[in-house]
Amino acid sequence: MSKNLIELDNITFRYEKEEAPVLKDFSMSVAEGSCVVIEGDNGSGKTTLFRILTGLSFPEKGEYSFDGTIITREYMKDNANSKRFHKRIGYLFQSPDVMLFNPRVYDEIAFGPRQMGISDEEVEERVNDCLKMFNLQELAGKAPYHLSGGQKKRVALAAVMSLNPDVLILDEPYAGLDKGMQTWLTQFLRDLKSAGKTLIVATHSGELLAEATDETITME
Amino acid sequence: MLPEWMRETDHYDVPPKDGGTFVIKTIQTIGRIMSRLKIQAGHEKKKHFPAMVKLFAMVLLIIVTSVCQNRVVLLATAAVLLGYLCTWPAKGLWGVLKPPVAAAALTFVLLIPAMLMNPAGISNNLVVVGKVFLCVTMVTIFNHTTQWNHVTLALRKLHVPGVFVFTLDITLKYIVLLGNLMQDLLTSMQLRAVGKHDKKYSSIGGVMGVTFIRGTEMNEQMYEAMRCRGFTDDYRGL
Repeated sequence: MSKNLIELDNITFRYEKEEAPVLKDFSMSVAEGSCVVIEGDNGSGKTTLFRILTGLSFPEKGEYSFDGTIITREYMKDNANSKRFHKRIGYLFQSPDVMLFNPRVYDEIAFGPRQMGISDEEVEERVNDCLKMFNLQELAGKAPYHLSGGQKKRVALAAVMSLNPDVLILDEPYAGLDKGMQTWLTQFLRDLKSAGKTLIVATHSGELLAEATDETITME
Repeated sequence: MLPEWMRETDHYDVPPKDGGTFVIKTIQTIGRIMSRLKIQAGHEKKKHFPAMVKLFAMVLLIIVTSVCQNRVVLLATAAVLLGYLCTWPAKGLWGVLKPPVAAAALTFVLLIPAMLMNPAGISNNLVVVGKVFLCVTMVTIFNHTTQWNHVTLALRKLHVPGVFVFTLDITLKYIVLLGNLMQDLLTSMQLRAVGKHDKKYSSIGGVMGVTFIRGTEMNEQMYEAMRCRGFTDDYRGL
């Protein structure tokens, strides 16, 4: 049995003090190399949970530990800690529009690898592999904000994957994709799981990933 | 099929120095500004006078305060304003006084060289600082006591062109959306800025550019949607 990579222990979170908590005494654990599907209605707190998992928000009560390290506001204030943590966790936002800010698709995918201190040849190799894998070769020179919704989603996912994270958190990855791309994405996620990556996926199309899913968590 | 590098774990060391704090600080600043915009929407008070009267009185008072040379009149205006503010609950008082205090402090700092070069004119410079404080106080009181849709209606009654009122109204109502978009873009950038980022200003430029393009698109789409629902360029406010 693999060790638990992510552990949330009785997390409570609210955006405003006067408001009801979005998450209340919520606990979950994710084993290394597993695939967890998060289901729930709109507004059930999936995106908030992801913000906590990616270190963008912090619970007012409870504890979040990642690979044995307690993730707190103080811990993430240290720039080196924050960068080391974000290198290991890739996050695909629900809307790809908020992830694309570079002038060309090529630069968008190369944005992360260029900062990792690897050689230019290696960066180029990673970008070209991602372009090929996500069928984006013809779009490499185009501006990301001129693409269609499905193409933007592929570019955003390629940009995250070029960092080669250990954990991949996907917020509604199937939304806006056609049938062919949905099938391709399912196979891609299966391959990632086989390669030992940990996957946390929020989706209303859990049946697509059923074979690869180790656990389904329903949020209320 | 996954490429070989994706099947392996990177042995990655964070560079000792980088400029990531710039991004974090920018996100925090935008978040603060946005939360201030949201709070202002909830500060509406019961209306005692029609918005048009208040708007007219405010503009008149600002003009009088700006051109007035008589310090007794200025002191009297200050006394009336501060006396009025004394009737406010203490909780909301700082929210009203913060912008005028900040504006007055900024004016004072800007006038320091003039005061140093011409000490004889210090009292006149202090009058300017006082005038700035009074004018900004009037605007913040107006802002906190008048619902925005009443202001737009008042502007239309004062025959301000519809296109001007429309642009102003929509800008103020939806700037939060653009702020949200920009904040999300910066957050996504922060998540992927895992090392030494040499071209951070170019990336910030990209964020600004994308925000501008999205703003233009949203503007066009909303205008078309409004036309589809019978909008005829004659904006009356809501």
